[in-house]
Amino acid sequence: MTKLVEGDGRTHIKSPLMRESLQNRGVLAGTDSDHDLQIFPDVTLVGIGGQSIFDRGRDAILPLVEELAECKKDHKLVLAVGGGTRVRHTMSIALDLGLPVGGVAQLVGAMEELNAILLNALMAKHGSMPMQRDHFWDLPLYLSSGITPIAISIPPYHLWEPPPEEGNLPMHGSDFGLFQMAEVLGFKQVIFVKDERGLYDKDPKKHDDARFIPRISLPELRANPPAENILDEALFDAWANSNHLATVRIVNGLERGALTAALRGEDVGTLITREAP
Amino acid sequence: MTTDRRTLDSALSGSTLTGHDQGAIDYRPVALMPDVRVVKIGGQSILDRGRAALFPVLDELIAARKEGIQVVVLVGGGTRARHIYSIASELEMPVGVMATLGKYIPMQNGRMVQMLLARHGGLYILPDDFEKLPLYLQLGCIPVMSGMPPFGYWEKREAGSRIPPHRTDAGVFLSAEFLGAPRAIFIKDEDGLYTDDPKKDPAAQHIPRITAAELTARDLPDVVVERVVVEYLPRARWCKQLQIVNGLEPGEVLKALRGEDNGTIIDAA
Repeated sequence: MTKLVEGDGRTHIKSPLMRESLQNRGVLAGTDSDHDLQIFPDVTLVGIGGQSIFDRGRDAILPLVEELAECKKDHKLVLAVGGGTRVRHTMSIALDLGLPVGGVAQLVGAMEELNAILLNALMAKHGSMPMQRDHFWDLPLYLSSGITPIAISIPPYHLWEPPPEEGNLPMHGSDFGLFQMAEVLGFKQVIFVKDERGLYDKDPKKHDDARFIPRISLPELRANPPAENILDEALFDAWANSNHLATVRIVNGLERGALTAALRGEDVGTLITREAP
Repeated sequence: MTTDRRTLDSALSGSTLTGHDQGAIDYRPVALMPDVRVVKIGGQSILDRGRAALFPVLDELIAARKEGIQVVVLVGGGTRARHIYSIASELEMPVGVMATLGKYIPMQNGRMVQMLLARHGGLYILPDDFEKLPLYLQLGCIPVMSGMPPFGYWEKREAGSRIPPHRTDAGVFLSAEFLGAPRAIFIKDEDGLYTDDPKKDPAAQHIPRITAAELTARDLPDVVVERVVVEYLPRARWCKQLQIVNGLEPGEVLKALRGEDNGTIIDAA
């Protein structure tokens, strides 16, 4: 039976956090454990690059869609897509206008939604549906009926985007948004589909001597980040404090079969592991 | 052979969009609504005390509005939030689920405040209604909303805690920062910041003014506002002060809304 507690002018409901300050470190520690409920342990999130895939048009998109249509028969997938060059254009105009960081964060989601509509139009006949922002509790229905949901990548920080640590760009972009969705729902893995084989020590488009990294751990990556990272730093920072996601893989979406192999558990692209080897 | 990326030319077209790589843009930020007072009514500190505490606070908000001061009210959670956090923690819910659960109680409290302010122009608004604030404020209304930021399932885990780090204090600060307001005002049931929780330690001392850096350096076991807010404050463009006032003391809320330095002021630097 729930007990109401009075006597200090406030009415409390009896619970271990009753009357407590939720800023108190001792109180906070009492809520923690090294395990989180894993809600959807058999789902893979596939994040498709905006700049790297969609900005290349049909030659890159159509073969990937065919491959996804095959993959979805054997795997429980959630798809998502980035916004690419239009996001960069939006941001450069918005910054020139002096809009606050929350205003910039609010604007950019529209650009990836365009790509999500295109992807869904191409995938619909194979069974796909755009998923509303956080309608995660519909996922069992989608997945058991063979429908692949296409999720929103950008996280809903919107006007409330915190002030950036440096510079003026929002810290919470699509890579972070996808990671966070997979982490909170306890997905099996995240695979990012880009236009490179995976991670390099520097941008292989600019440097012929860039060295490919087939496997790296999160602590190694954070201690020694590549000069130009293919994924957002906010993703790695959040991952370091997380409980679930053991691996993030990057594969080349321009190479037919790479995604299929990754889903089968084969060692393609770059595998980033949360734990040090 | 695959087609090349078709890229729109812009100052950021080759950028990785991380903080240290933002091209050659000359960023001159614009304050959207700098005259607005963004005010939080505490959940546990005010609303859970019921009529005795809340009605006098609302009277002062109404009085300020009649003086022409533009007020946006955000509302905290309180004991029901602590209750659901407590049960959900035992069930080892991920932090994003905790943050989603945490949205509901401030929403209830916001609706309660709206009902009470209705005859004085109280409007319940959602995060998406921010773009309509100019109209509401010009009409003399008092917009009321939940203080919880809309992060929900996308709330990050903080080391050593399952409680969402961004709660209603963060929502108030981030709202003020977005609107370009220089100060975020928090109505609580204490005169401001103390050296420890004054409800537990009677020897705790009041701190009238402090900088975010000094506050962080003190490494207090407990603070009156969410730690992320103190962390963000020095990086803010516009909202460079937090003010904490005691809503149980008559006149304190109105003083703060008029721009006085009562209670505790935490400065960005």
